[in-house]
Amino acid sequence: MPPFPLTRRRMLQMGAAGLALSQVGLRPDPAHAAETVALQLSWLHSVQFAGSYIAQRNGWWRDAGLDVSLLQGGPNAPVEPPVVAGNALVGISAADYTAAAVAQGAPFKIIGVAMQKNPFVIASLPENAVRQPADLAGKRIGMAIANTPVLQALCQLNDVDFNAVQIVPTQYSAQPLISEDVDCLLCWETDLPVAMAMQGIKAVTMLMADHGYAVHSQTYIATEESLADRRDALVALMSGEVRGWNAYRADTDAAAALTVEMFPDAGLDLPTQKLQAQRQVPLMFSAQTDQHGFGWWSDEAVEDNIRTLALLGSKVTPDLWDRSILDAVHGG
Amino acid sequence: MADAVIGTLILLALWQGLAFALQDRFLIAGPAQVLGWSIANAGLIGRALVVTGSNAALGFLAGNLAAIGLAALALVVPRLIPMISGLALVVFCLPMVATGPILRVMMGPGNGPQIVLAALAVYYTTLIPLLAGLRAAPASWLDLIHVYGRGRWAELRHIRLRAALPYLAAGLQIAAPAAFLGAMVGEFTGAERGMGVLTIRFTRALDIPAIWSLAAIAALVAIAAYALIGGIARRILHEPPPVILAPPPGGPTQRGWMQALAVLIAVLALWWAGMRLAGLSPFFAKRPSDVLAALAWAPDAAQTRGTLATALAQTARHVLPGYCAGLALGAGLAVLLGLVPRLSAVLTPLAVALRSIPIVTTAPLIVLLAGRGAAGTVLLVAVMVFFPTFVACQHGLRQAPGRILDVFDSYAASRLRKLIHVGIPAMLPALFAAARISVPAAVLAVTVVEWLATGGGIGGLMSLSASVSDYDMLWSAVVLVTLMSWLGHAVISAAERRVLATHAPEQVRP
Repeated sequence: MPPFPLTRRRMLQMGAAGLALSQVGLRPDPAHAAETVALQLSWLHSVQFAGSYIAQRNGWWRDAGLDVSLLQGGPNAPVEPPVVAGNALVGISAADYTAAAVAQGAPFKIIGVAMQKNPFVIASLPENAVRQPADLAGKRIGMAIANTPVLQALCQLNDVDFNAVQIVPTQYSAQPLISEDVDCLLCWETDLPVAMAMQGIKAVTMLMADHGYAVHSQTYIATEESLADRRDALVALMSGEVRGWNAYRADTDAAAALTVEMFPDAGLDLPTQKLQAQRQVPLMFSAQTDQHGFGWWSDEAVEDNIRTLALLGSKVTPDLWDRSILDAVHGG
Repeated sequence: MADAVIGTLILLALWQGLAFALQDRFLIAGPAQVLGWSIANAGLIGRALVVTGSNAALGFLAGNLAAIGLAALALVVPRLIPMISGLALVVFCLPMVATGPILRVMMGPGNGPQIVLAALAVYYTTLIPLLAGLRAAPASWLDLIHVYGRGRWAELRHIRLRAALPYLAAGLQIAAPAAFLGAMVGEFTGAERGMGVLTIRFTRALDIPAIWSLAAIAALVAIAAYALIGGIARRILHEPPPVILAPPPGGPTQRGWMQALAVLIAVLALWWAGMRLAGLSPFFAKRPSDVLAALAWAPDAAQTRGTLATALAQTARHVLPGYCAGLALGAGLAVLLGLVPRLSAVLTPLAVALRSIPIVTTAPLIVLLAGRGAAGTVLLVAVMVFFPTFVACQHGLRQAPGRILDVFDSYAASRLRKLIHVGIPAMLPALFAAARISVPAAVLAVTVVEWLATGGGIGGLMSLSASVSDYDMLWSAVVLVTLMSWLGHAVISAAERRVLATHAPEQVRP
């Protein structure tokens, strides 16, 4: 709590002043100037969110007058309620989940896209590999039943007979593939295949995003109310993210090491984190982000997302995406 | 004691052998691997254990204090008993999938939700035996107090509290593993550290030695807590803690229906007012009217009802066989040990261990071992139901009246004959008490397994609904699950009254 009453406007002014001062080498006293905000992560701490850790550790948010707490996610920690309730200013979601929440009446906008390419892959073993969608015919695929629409969409996008694929309901683990109870798994590029690699088992992965499955993932969401009232805080938060992720890209090993160091109780293993950090680079950075900056998206990408989301049974319009915060970050 | 040591060694050898035989399948880590991993990661696991353990301990304390407070209130105002036990049952039946995220939003980061969920997991199993215990005083003692012209306070202090102590001890013993489970599940709502967090991490990473080490350590802690409370109780009470032999609450009489209605109205009022007062957003905190609309007159109401019915049918196919198997196994083992008492030294520790391992760590393991089909889920439900039934039935068998046994002995009746004609009838009240208390436990088990491991049924539907923000569906499922547990409880109470009226009339006398 600040020692004297502060209005939100005054805090923002002080934050902006701090931003200006920091550029000439003067830093505001963070205890007095900081506006407290939270970023709700979508899963347990890991290198998946290392850009945020880098921003935190280097004080880039503090210098901008923000005191950011990073709230860990988990299997029983949906991202949307804390963002709606105002406990978190920004949440890490994905276009499909955000679209579903908006359909249920939540006033969300996507203000940044960390994973330009959806991380879903079909993972298989080399001797019985799925390299093309056509290879799926006749295969047993291990996945959560809840993801059936995802597989249906992939089949439809690639003219594969959905009924020729046999779905085996599995928990989210590589074990059924290793023991050959299934021929392939629907999972993320950055978790189960990494776990397999660390156990010395090579997996072939077919990235669904390379075969027409366009759903933005690890998206930053905020409410319309925050977009109207807390613009400066949003811009400051996203600038820190952009800076953090650029630093991440420059040295993923250092990002992995920082992650393991910051969360000693999370049971993280450095080699695993390093591999995961490398594997998510191609999902997050492209020629387009090189040109326009981290988190940016094109109008065509939005069209592709709308088409894939329609296959998943969700109707969205382009105004689900709001580029104004990123414009301020990259333009300012 | 020697038997127990030998039994433990045999189990360890079997475990190691199985691990060795299946070593390439990423299923089982043997005791040697578990020991090695635990030593290598002693710091990590130690810190996690301290975090989860202290949350569990705080929840244990809070939950049991709440139970004692409610029992005291019931004693002072006996008319409130049906309302208190009705509300307590409803709150106990609330699935953690739904309560977790709400607690997190209300309490923010930190240990709040873990402690509250641990408290919620324990208060019911303490409250019910306590309510029974406070009434378990012989009428002649109470008369004595009144003859001396003393009032209710003396009655409470000198008789009822003492009569209730053994029941309290039994409740606390059951509560210890439950508190640990509640604290671990609480960590799934976004806690920074603890045993639950590590379980998720290592399951994803396919770190088999780590998963088995977590399960083994959690089991050891739970067994230690169980034994410690049992030991303290034995010291204070000088006789083994009895098992809950509570007479069932009001049957399907006119008054019973009125009480049920009163509880229903209270639940709806508390639900509505609670969300209002906490200022929870109607986006995720649905009110009774939202649920009614979603099920009755929303445009997609028919579809919602269909989805719920399908999921519920799937859950029923898992929970009913598991529940019946658990009851049969528990009663069967108790009877078997009655016939061959020597086996007890080996089987009782195994039974305690099975029950004590938190279901959160066993769920991935049992699903790995028994497959993702119905078998794994049925097995887990059976394990949850088995142990309380086993303990209760063992106690029940010991209640066989000595004078009747003497009669059988004088006719040189066989052990089997005595069991059928004396032991089993004496066991029935305990079996029914266990069956009643196991209803919410079985529902909890099946929803947790579906939620964390198999993804099917009503538990899977609830977690899916939360992930796609379909909170109308989630809350409808919560209402349905709670209603089912309550109905199951009521059906068994009715059966209990009917059977006991013939076999143990003293239990159902008002």
